Amino acid sequence: MNRRLIINSIRAEKSVSAATCIFMALSAMLFSLSILLFAELSDSVDRLMTTAGTPDFLQMHAGELKEENIRAFGASRPEVEDQQILRFLNLPNGILSIGDASLAENTQDNGLCFQSGRFDLLVDADNRAIQPGKGEVYVPVCYRAEYGLQAGDIMRIGTETLRVAGFLRDSQMNSMMASSKRFLVSEEDYERLKPFGSEEYLIEFRLYKGSDLNAFSTAYREAGLPQNGPTITGPLIRMMNALSDGMMILVILLVSVVILLISLLCIRTLILTQLEKDKPEIGMLKAVGISKKGIRDMYFSKYLLLSLIGCAVGILAAMLLAGPLSAQMRELYGDPGHTGLIRLLALSGALIVEAVILCTVSRTIRKTEKLTAVEALFLRGSIGKTKNLFVPVGIITAAAVFIMLVPWNMKSTIAAPEFVTYMGIGKSQIRIDVRQTADETADLEETLGSVTDSLLKDNRVADLSLMQTGSYQVNLPDGALYELMIENGDHGRFPVQYTEGRYPESADEIAVSILNAEEMGLQTGDILKVRVITDDGTGPEQFEILPLRICGIYSDVTNGGKTAKACLTDRTPVMWNVIYLSLNEDISPEEWVREYKERFAGTNQGVRITLISDYLQGTYGQTIRNISNAAAVSCALACLVLFVVVLLLLRLVIWKERQDSSLMKALGFSSADLKRAYLKKMVVSVFTGLIIGIFAGIVPGQGLAGLLLGTMGAHGFRFIIDPFAVFLAAPGMLLFAAAAAAGISLREVSRIRAFECLGVYRN
Amino acid sequence: MEEILQVKNLRKGEILRNIGFAVREAEMVAIMGPSGCGKSTLLYNVSGMDQADGGEVMLGGHEITGLSEEERAKLRLSGMGFVFQQMNMLSHLNLIDNIVLPAVHADKKHQKEYYSRAKELMALFHIGELALRRVNEVSGGQLQRACICRSMMLEPPIIFADEPTGALNQTAASEVIDAFLEINRTGTAILMVTHDSRVASRCERILYMLDGELQGELTLGKYTKEREKEREKQTVRWLEDMGW
Repeated sequence: MNRRLIINSIRAEKSVSAATCIFMALSAMLFSLSILLFAELSDSVDRLMTTAGTPDFLQMHAGELKEENIRAFGASRPEVEDQQILRFLNLPNGILSIGDASLAENTQDNGLCFQSGRFDLLVDADNRAIQPGKGEVYVPVCYRAEYGLQAGDIMRIGTETLRVAGFLRDSQMNSMMASSKRFLVSEEDYERLKPFGSEEYLIEFRLYKGSDLNAFSTAYREAGLPQNGPTITGPLIRMMNALSDGMMILVILLVSVVILLISLLCIRTLILTQLEKDKPEIGMLKAVGISKKGIRDMYFSKYLLLSLIGCAVGILAAMLLAGPLSAQMRELYGDPGHTGLIRLLALSGALIVEAVILCTVSRTIRKTEKLTAVEALFLRGSIGKTKNLFVPVGIITAAAVFIMLVPWNMKSTIAAPEFVTYMGIGKSQIRIDVRQTADETADLEETLGSVTDSLLKDNRVADLSLMQTGSYQVNLPDGALYELMIENGDHGRFPVQYTEGRYPESADEIAVSILNAEEMGLQTGDILKVRVITDDGTGPEQFEILPLRICGIYSDVTNGGKTAKACLTDRTPVMWNVIYLSLNEDISPEEWVREYKERFAGTNQGVRITLISDYLQGTYGQTIRNISNAAAVSCALACLVLFVVVLLLLRLVIWKERQDSSLMKALGFSSADLKRAYLKKMVVSVFTGLIIGIFAGIVPGQGLAGLLLGTMGAHGFRFIIDPFAVFLAAPGMLLFAAAAAAGISLREVSRIRAFECLGVYRN
Repeated sequence: MEEILQVKNLRKGEILRNIGFAVREAEMVAIMGPSGCGKSTLLYNVSGMDQADGGEVMLGGHEITGLSEEERAKLRLSGMGFVFQQMNMLSHLNLIDNIVLPAVHADKKHQKEYYSRAKELMALFHIGELALRRVNEVSGGQLQRACICRSMMLEPPIIFADEPTGALNQTAASEVIDAFLEINRTGTAILMVTHDSRVASRCERILYMLDGELQGELTLGKYTKEREKEREKQTVRWLEDMGW
């Protein structure tokens, strides 16, 4: 009998049951999808990093190197498990092409290497170490889709050619956020191709588990070992590996939480309306002596069944969607290992969601317990507080706008040219890096001189600013010593975003990156004592300690995120130079960059010219594409949810007011009059929801997205909004969904007959 | 005959003022009075559906005013039957499922037996062929007889009925009152609130209520078809005397 009761009740209320089931399935699907993707990603990354033997500490270095000093340092540290020095042949992108595609516009540092003998292995699709034959090259797997490559293609390096034998996974440089990409060749080919590029070193250490990485980094810096290049640590590599896809997963998780809240509100409203409708039946059940639990079980078992169906559909949909959504992840990091466990986790996620929903169902049904049999029989009193069904419509509209806008705003923020200023790069059109190379014939100062000369003579250049980075020893307020990379120059010309304070304007000020501020425990106003070299370079080295006041803190992801900015003009050796510049309005930056690249192409002078928009696309393109996918999914979900909600709740309102509407018709009102009245209320609640939603999508949404982007290293950022999307496209789509649903629901008004009010209306 | 229901000094706000009466086993009693006099309130308070402010209600020898809501629900399930004016049944179940619902809720083990009993009762009240019909597929009279079947499932010693013919036409009302007479003949006491003097005249006794107090009582004795007209006239005369 119970089974019949449940099935008949579901049949009789098809639309309400279907909507409840859709909400349950959506919530289960999104939650279990985010768990599935997150677990797959972290398991794949873990497996790859374990198989490949990713280093815990990596120092890149361009310039001379004394291997024995490094070996001695490694041997003296008890936490070092293994160490090695790898060579990396940095090639100018202008001389590289694979198949028909040129890498001239590529913004990564592309170069060659040969397989390591110990750890940091480059592996194939099955996570096995690759040993390339003579004349063969293995290409980073992230380029396969980007350039449409396949095995057998020919790679050209200047006048030389190599055959693409396959694709490789690089546990530390797989992500597009890592700025370098390694191509694997045989040692013989490496030596042959050496004249085409400049050699850099990767000084790598693996530490025993549980070792203090910060203490090791400090010891390395204090030992005065080579450090002309960024320092990268295991956790940073793991973060970069996880982020470009992780961001999409976090967006899905955010959407899933909002959808769950919408579902809870919607299901609660549906149940309350249903209970209100069933009040006489509930009264009868109470009157004939059915216990509270008995009545609760009758309703609960229906929702339990719907929840089981929703859960099964949700998990199935999550499994199906996980395939295409994780395709890129699997290509980059390989298949996850513990598929059984991962599926179990995803299933538990869906079950938790259903448990939360069923708890709400149970709590809502319990509201019937407050009514006495007499109250229910004579339709006195009310179950719950949901009197006005237009209120949930407004709330759900706001939530729908929110889940639509947060991913959109994140996408437009990352894609905007200003975004680089949150990542530690000045807001300019073009960035030119001038670095020391291993080529001893190239003099850094001379190269810099020739570049700046060209720029100063070029009347197309509107503005430029030179930043020079050196390594300084600093005394922290607590007396500890620290080796700090300080970028000196005019920071006001192309400023980065400061989360606190402002850029340094005078020689006694310094700004530090968030990572440094956190690690050193610094705040604005603190004093850092910096050792600067004051001699004229002819006599013995002289130095003095300058107290610099911290005037600002900014977010930075360049050079491992640990940087500082000041206006020092001492003689501390410059490790690298960066020139930021902007062009006059009528000049095409693309053409200008092409011209300058040609001018400095083929030289081993370490000059690298990057169009900032290309840099953004190259570094964050993958992330932007992923977030765009997530934004498209959440946009479709938001429209679907609002459509279902308006369709359903408006029908419920019409049903609730059927007697009154019938009376109105009996008194001479037409269907059109009644529809207009409903539409007015609907428009008010939808518009109120839209306004609240837009506000929430921008203000609290910014905070939420800030938490997500903070994981990428971009701190304290503000949304860079695309007004068309925020104020026109998103509300427009939702309005269309709401209008379509209202149109369908309002048809019911025409079916109400004037005579119905004369007797008790029964279906 | 022993008294199945004893009511003493029952009070409920201004609606019921120190009411006292009793119903004997297998007796059929009607409560009449003008609208708003407190008839239904009296019925719901003596049956434990509502909580009285004071007084005593003994049902089958047990005091029920002090029972908790759950205890009273249990008592309603097996110790009494209910029939309402609005023929409330679950619209998602067919007639027979609705009839056995409270009985199965009380005792799931004997489901089969309850279905057999439901069929017998339905046959007795001439609705046997409607067992599988949905609630909205039968007439008001048929539905009310199904409600009587439901109230009889656990063979309670007393049935409370609130205007059981109030929403029915005359033919349907006659069918329903015949059903009540039938179950009364099997020994079940009935306490019924009604506006209909013809229905009341079928009862053994009529209590007249006005402004929350019992004003009078008419004893007609057991119903026989032969004395039907005479009982009706006697009832109407008495009601007129009471100010009806």
